Amino acid sequence: MEYKEVVGRRRSIRYFQTWRPVEREKIQIMLEAARQASCAVNATFMKAIVVERDKLDPKTLESLKTPVSGQLELAPIHIYTYADPSAFNGAQGRLKKLVDVGALNASLGWSHKFVDEFVWPNILKPLAENLPQSIALVAGDVGVAVCQAMLAGVDEGLGVCLTAFVPEPVKKALNVPDHWVPMWALLVGYPAESWDGGGQRPRPPMEEIYFEGKYGTPFKPDPKVTEELKAKKLLMPPAPLPWRKAEVKALAQMFGLPE
Amino acid sequence: MSDLKAPSENYSSVQTWYKGLREQSGVNPASDLSRLKVLEEFCRYAQLDPDEVVKACLLEKEGRETRISIKGRKRVAQMISDFQASGEGLSPRERAYRGNTIRSFLIHNGILLQAGMQL
Repeated sequence: MEYKEVVGRRRSIRYFQTWRPVEREKIQIMLEAARQASCAVNATFMKAIVVERDKLDPKTLESLKTPVSGQLELAPIHIYTYADPSAFNGAQGRLKKLVDVGALNASLGWSHKFVDEFVWPNILKPLAENLPQSIALVAGDVGVAVCQAMLAGVDEGLGVCLTAFVPEPVKKALNVPDHWVPMWALLVGYPAESWDGGGQRPRPPMEEIYFEGKYGTPFKPDPKVTEELKAKKLLMPPAPLPWRKAEVKALAQMFGLPE
Repeated sequence: MSDLKAPSENYSSVQTWYKGLREQSGVNPASDLSRLKVLEEFCRYAQLDPDEVVKACLLEKEGRETRISIKGRKRVAQMISDFQASGEGLSPRERAYRGNTIRSFLIHNGILLQAGMQL
């Protein structure tokens, strides 16, 4: 699938084919996409544990649900994602390796000495020692990696959805290290609802959220580009599609859920 | 409480439920009165009227914002499960319908009671 179409097709899928397992190779593809994501100081801050729903005992599964994550039960695969602030450790060596492989260069101010005598002691070490300060950076990187995994999943024909989870029972059940900070559960499975989930979700207009030059000057989209994005399927018909409520009703009946 | 004090459609919680079904679930509640019958049966079972069922899930304290009561919600969730199980002679699907009807009533009144798949 073309990249723009992958982005356009992604939805939060909440109804999964509960009976259909997900091929392990597709999960590997998603994890590889996450591993290749952009990450500060070449630190893979995102850590993840892949769990097959059917291998969780029912009591544990029940305990993982938040009031708004009923779909945990429907998704055959859960990928519990965490931020690992300890990934700052070793940043010094990794940065120097980036210098060695030509990713960071003297032409932009990078050298081993700069890493050892400035970047590590003045920037990274203080960040590594101050979780409240570093967590935004770390969480941002986790978001980037999770997003790549999601898009790779969509490209493989899967449905994906990020949801919150209750950390304590997951920690207990999956032996999660104390220093990992819980982020999201990425639910994966084949969609039981139509792949388009009833249409592209409503978003605020671009000029309300993005600015040009300075805050307050809206970034105005070019209608020609918008049309091109429609043709390339990054922009798709918006929700609700006319049959969506009937679909949700049928899904509720099929899964025995309230209407 | 053996009988409701007023026709069940007159309770504000029932009106909220109906409005939610119409506007958010694409369901016309007037086309199938079995929902209302199940709710009335539950009310008799719980000895509460529809508005009281909703109230039983809330924590109301003077001078404070009303919140969902964890204990109340658990108690009502258990009541629904028991009510669902009590449908003698009914198929599992019909029993699930009974429980889910009450869950739908509470969901549209802002009380989330997840029971998961009822297959």
